[in-house]
Amino acid sequence: MGVIRFDNVGRVFGAKSNPFVALKEIDLEVGDKEFVAIVGPSGCGKTTCLRLVAGFDFPSSGKVLVDEQPIRRPRPERAVVFQQFALFPWKTVHDNIELGLRNQSVAKAEREERINRILELMNLTAYAKHFPHQLSGGMQQRVAIARAYVLDPDVLLMDEPFGALDAQTRVVMQEELVRLARRNPRTVLFITHAVEEAVYLADRVAIMTRAPGRIKEVLDIRSIREAEDWDSYEKIEDVMDLESFVHLRTHIWRSLREEKAAATA
Amino acid sequence: MPRRLTIGAATILTLVVLWFLVTSVLGLIAPGRFPSPQATIAALDHVLFRGYAGGTLVEHVVNSLRLVLLGFLVAIVTGVPLGLLMGWNRTAEALINPVFLIIRPIPPLAWIPLAILWLGLGDGAKIMVIWFAAFVPSVINAYAGVRTIEKPVLEAAAMLGTPKLRFIVEVLVPAASPMIFTGLRLSLQASWTTLVAAELVGAFYGLGRVLNVAQQDLYPGMILVGMIAVAILGWATTKGLGMLEARALSWNQAAALAGKG
Ligand SMILES: Nc1ncnc2c1ncn2[C@@H]1O[C@H](COP(=O)(O)OP(=O)(O)OP(=O)(O)O)[C@@H](O)[C@H]1O
Ligand SMILES: [Mg+2]
Repeated sequence: MGVIRFDNVGRVFGAKSNPFVALKEIDLEVGDKEFVAIVGPSGCGKTTCLRLVAGFDFPSSGKVLVDEQPIRRPRPERAVVFQQFALFPWKTVHDNIELGLRNQSVAKAEREERINRILELMNLTAYAKHFPHQLSGGMQQRVAIARAYVLDPDVLLMDEPFGALDAQTRVVMQEELVRLARRNPRTVLFITHAVEEAVYLADRVAIMTRAPGRIKEVLDIRSIREAEDWDSYEKIEDVMDLESFVHLRTHIWRSLREEKAAATA
Repeated sequence: MPRRLTIGAATILTLVVLWFLVTSVLGLIAPGRFPSPQATIAALDHVLFRGYAGGTLVEHVVNSLRLVLLGFLVAIVTGVPLGLLMGWNRTAEALINPVFLIIRPIPPLAWIPLAILWLGLGDGAKIMVIWFAAFVPSVINAYAGVRTIEKPVLEAAAMLGTPKLRFIVEVLVPAASPMIFTGLRLSLQASWTTLVAAELVGAFYGLGRVLNVAQQDLYPGMILVGMIAVAILGWATTKGLGMLEARALSWNQAAALAGKG
C-alpha cells in the first residue's frame, strides 16, 4: 500500500520574529498506485512538499500521512529520486543500486537478479561497472531512478528528475518512465516545471500557487487519457498533438500564468 | 610527461654543473661555507661505509624513517577518527573544539623540550612530538571533509536505510576522503619537519643527529649529505602517499580529469 495524505499542512521557515510561510493549508491525497504531478512557479514549495513525505523535513502544522501513519524518518519504502541525482560517486553503478538492497538484507543471488533486471530495464547493463562520472547526465539520472526502483518501494518521490537533461534525453526518459509506470505501477509523487511532462506522465496534476504555496487546482488527466486512449501511441509527440492533450496543457499554462501575473502585479 | 622529465633532468644537471663551477673551478665560494661536489661525495662515502655520528647512513635513515612513519601513523589513527567525529557530531565538536583551540596555536616544535624532559632522548619523545605536529592537520581536514559533504548524498544514504556502521564506512569516510588525504599529506610533511628538529635537539641516531654533529664538526660536506638524504626521504614518502591516494580516490581523480577534459 502507499496512500499519501496531506492534511491541512503548513510549513513555516525562519525565526519566529521573521517567519516565512512556505506552505499553507495543503490538502492533497495521492491514492495507492496513483501518479500525481505537482506543478507550480519556482519557490512555491514543491520540493518542500516532497521532503515532508520523504521524512527529510516535518510540517509546522497539520499532518502528512502515509497509509494513515505519520512520517517519522526517511524509509526505503518511500524512495526518492533527487533532482541532482545524489549518486555515490565512489561506488560503481552496480554498487550504487545494490546499497539499498544490502541494507534490506536481500540475499546475494536475489540482489544480483534484481539489479540485472533493473539495469536491463533502464538500458544500463553495459555500464554496471562504470563510476557515475563516466556516465552522461541522462545515464546518471537513470541510475538514480534504478536505485530507487530496485527497492520496489510503495511510494516513489521524484523531484524534477529530468530537469537537468537536454530536450531529447528528457523525452526518452519520459517514455521510459511511462513504460515503467504502466508495467509496474506504484504511488508516485512527481515534481516538475514542465507542463507537458506533467500531463503526459500523471494521472492527476496538482497546480500550486506562488508562496505561500497552496494547492490551487487538481486536474484529472487519467480519465481523459483513458477515454482518448493515449497509451496506444508509442511516441510522446503523437500524444502531444492530440486535441485533448493540448486542451489540458493550455489550461495548466493559463493557470500558471495567472500566478506569474499575480507575482508581478 | 617525458618532456617534463627531460626538462627536470636538464635543470638538475645544470644546477650540478653550476655548483661544480662555482665551488671547485672558479672558487667563488669558500669550501668552508659550502662544499664542492667532490667534498660531498667524500662525505657520502664516509657516512655510508665508515659511519658517522654513531652509525652508517643506512642506520640513520632506517631510524629516522621508522620514527616518522610511527609518529605519522599514531597521529592519523587518532586524528582522522577524531576529525570525523567532530564533523559528524555537534556535541563532540562542542566538547573537543575548545581544547583544540588552546593547543593548536602552540608550534609543534615548542613541545620538544617538554617531550625530552618526559621521555628522554629515545624514540618515545620523538614519536610524541611528531604525533602532536601531525595530529592537527589530520583532525582539521577530516573535520572539514565531513562538513563539506553535500546534503543530498547524506539524504540518499538515509533514504536507502543505511545502518550506522555501514554509513560511516561506505558513505561518510569515502565522501570525506579527498579532504582526509589532503590532511594526510600535510601531516606527513609536518612529521618530517618535526622529526629532524627533534633529532637536532637531541638524539642518538638519525639524520637530524647527523646534521647536528656535522655542524659541530664544521663539516659542510656532511651537512649537505644529511640535507639531501632528508629531501629524498621526504620526497619518497610523499610520493608513496600520493600513489596510495591515487588508488583510493580513482573515482575522484578521474572525475577531476573528466571535468577538465
Ligand atoms: N530549509 C529552509 N529554510 C528556509 N527557507 C526554506 C528552506 N527550504 C525551503 N525554503 C524556502 O521555501 C520556499 C519553497 O522552497 P521549495 O524548495 O519547496 O520551492 P520549489 O517549489 O521546489 O522551487 P523550485 O521550483 O525552484 O525548485 C522557498 O522560498 C525557499 O527559499
Ligand atoms: Mg524544488
